[in-house]
Amino acid sequence: MRAEWRGWSLSVEVPLGERALSVTLSTASRAVGIVGPSGAGKSTLLRVLAGVERRGRGRLEVDGETWLDSASGTYLPPWLRRVGWVPQEASLFPHLSVRDNLGYAGVEPERVLEIAALLEVRDLLDRRPRRLSGGERQRVALGRALLSSPRLLLLDEPFSALDRPLRDKLSRLVREWAEERAVPLVLVSHDEEDTRVLADERWRLVAGELALSGRAT
Amino acid sequence: MVHVAERVELGLRTVVRVSATGPPSDEGGAMRGNIAERRARARWRLAAALRGRITWRPVISRLRPAPTRPLRAAPSPLRAGTAGERAVLGGAAVRRAAVPRGVLARAVLAVSALWAPPAAPAHAQDVRSPGGGEPETLVVLAASSLTDVLPRLASAWRARGGLPVRFSFDATSRLAPQATQGARADVFFAADEAWMRWLEERRAVESGAARAVAGNELVVVVPSGRDAPGDAAGLAALGRVALAGENVPAGRYAYEALVRVGVWGAVEGLVVRGGSVRAVLEWVARGEVPAGIVYRTDAVAEDAVSVAFALPAAGSAGAEIRYWAAPLTSAPHPAGARDFVSFVAGPEGSAVFAAAGFRVPGPPPGTSGAAQAGGPGPAPPSGAVPSPASAVRISLLVALIATVAGLAPAVALGWLLARHDFPGKTLLSTAVLAPLVIPPVVTGFLLLTALGTQSPLGRLLAQLGLPVPFTLVGATVAALVVGLPLYVISIRGAFEAVDPLYEELSWTLGVPPRRTFVRVSLPLALPGIVAGAVLAFARALGEFGATVVLAGNVEGSTRTIALAVYTLLESPSGRETTWVLVGASVGLSLLALLGFERLSRRQRRRLEDRHAR
Repeated sequence: MRAEWRGWSLSVEVPLGERALSVTLSTASRAVGIVGPSGAGKSTLLRVLAGVERRGRGRLEVDGETWLDSASGTYLPPWLRRVGWVPQEASLFPHLSVRDNLGYAGVEPERVLEIAALLEVRDLLDRRPRRLSGGERQRVALGRALLSSPRLLLLDEPFSALDRPLRDKLSRLVREWAEERAVPLVLVSHDEEDTRVLADERWRLVAGELALSGRAT
Repeated sequence: MVHVAERVELGLRTVVRVSATGPPSDEGGAMRGNIAERRARARWRLAAALRGRITWRPVISRLRPAPTRPLRAAPSPLRAGTAGERAVLGGAAVRRAAVPRGVLARAVLAVSALWAPPAAPAHAQDVRSPGGGEPETLVVLAASSLTDVLPRLASAWRARGGLPVRFSFDATSRLAPQATQGARADVFFAADEAWMRWLEERRAVESGAARAVAGNELVVVVPSGRDAPGDAAGLAALGRVALAGENVPAGRYAYEALVRVGVWGAVEGLVVRGGSVRAVLEWVARGEVPAGIVYRTDAVAEDAVSVAFALPAAGSAGAEIRYWAAPLTSAPHPAGARDFVSFVAGPEGSAVFAAAGFRVPGPPPGTSGAAQAGGPGPAPPSGAVPSPASAVRISLLVALIATVAGLAPAVALGWLLARHDFPGKTLLSTAVLAPLVIPPVVTGFLLLTALGTQSPLGRLLAQLGLPVPFTLVGATVAALVVGLPLYVISIRGAFEAVDPLYEELSWTLGVPPRRTFVRVSLPLALPGIVAGAVLAFARALGEFGATVVLAGNVEGSTRTIALAVYTLLESPSGRETTWVLVGASVGLSLLALLGFERLSRRQRRRLEDRHAR
């Protein structure tokens, strides 16, 4: 468990078709929420953090490490970043069972069972993704990210397919899990309600511009 | 993410769609063909007028029959035969229909062919008399060993007031069936008597009309500057001997000569069959085979070969090499045809033949032996009938090896083209797909140049124990290269159908690209890859053009189903075997396509996860 979190700072420009997403953000918070209308570039921002968006130019520093610096040609590839990325589309590997999806990052079976119990998907372990409901998929995708021992959790509308009670329950659960292990997280959502539970610091992204919109407690 | 769905659709549908294009609508096709031909004829008239070959009067008279009349309304020549004007029209319409590809046009052609059977040649000839709009040209089907000499004869005849002549040169064995199946030709030149008799039996040539016009001699040729054997016994030491096909006269003459000198037993296993004498000559000239048996006149015409020795001339009548010419009963220009034949058989013709190195018969027999013999002619020409079991076995083996050997390159290329951008990508893609559009024969020729025994690469392969030309290796290489485009397209589509998000996710879960490829991309694309393999297998089964050039047509070694069928088409005796092979070919191909279709569907289902929601 790390005692100190030095936060992350980002200053990148990503060409998105006709316009460009230009974002500058610096935060020391362990739980950052980013809200904004769809199409504002929230998901792209997370892809830059995860390292799978290679078109971004600029700088990204996370916890004192340089993950991206176009000027010096520095780029830490995604497989070395150890981020727990849950994309908006709950993209489970369609050829693997729920169990193999959860354990994809090379996880001991006990931990798979543990997280499956926590997320209430224990009965589904041997199913293929195509036989899951949307909410079940999102939970499995979340569990897979949690199990990869992430240094940073990146959640992209992780509960969009769930109803409100389950959504709040899972939000609290993730919050507890992250605080227990001191894993910082970034949550992206078009719904401010989600960020209220999960995030300490809220940023609003509108048309490529970021503004700090609120800080919890 | 709608685009994912689209990508999946595109990924595999593109390949399927290739075969889904139907023929154009009947009537439209016929009409378009009609217009296209009218344009072509107008161009021809213009070009001819510019050359001063025709005067304006015939041009105007040719324009008279209104060509806009629909094909369907073409009156049958039989009915129209009485009324002159309409008969001309009918003939023109029938002739025009020979070019358009529409089904209707073909039907019209077939029906009108029924109205004018060869049994009524005089009548049919009246109908098709000049003035129907066709330029007056004598069409001659001739054995390919006459390629050089006949045009000279034609121009000599033209100088004497004959018609312009167009030629179709091929092996006699391939031309003869064409002549019986309604080819619009006037004169037939056969390289042996047996095929001429065969034509007589089928009434394609009138009994007694055939005339012996020239003789020839078989020689053993070697590439220029190579060691040549002194006699037939030395052939066996050369390792390979190229002969024309079993049913091609030159091939049968060579077989008979080798049997006569008693070396057939020793040479039989070394024989490579070319499609015609010209193919044999080409192989020897390129040094791909150490020796070949061709006509002396062919050897003289080719600088890159030298004559080792002549095969002894026949004592028995059946083995004498003699060219026969005859007007065809269905000739559109019967008078011209008769005149051309007697010109060729006459003293002037003989002089041209003699100048070209042909032997000229002393006292010409005048009429064919069949007519003189009176009784039923000898059995139609037959050669070794290809073994269907061997052909199927070779086909399956070649297709299987080509498919397995092509897997790794096809996956690598498919992956590269689907997921990577690099300079020269378009070039690479074009190069890979090229065999899809280049005629397979051309591909075969290029492969022979690149991998033949005269190229460094070919020599290297031969030293490694993988000689390419005329071997199973060659057949496999041909099948592989021609099948690779479909293989790569299919696999590329399979990879493109896999959402890159899966790979990105795998990376963020700590799995680097190479292992991600094995754990995610490959399994997700697997049904598509197998589908590609099945498609390549099917294409390899169907490969003909490149194989026949690169690997020859060697019974028991490179003679695949396609080559066996091709060989059997020249052999009137192999009807049943042909059908067995045709059945096997169609069956195997359809089975493979069925497999492809099922696997493609499975590929789509495998990626369903994301679209179900």
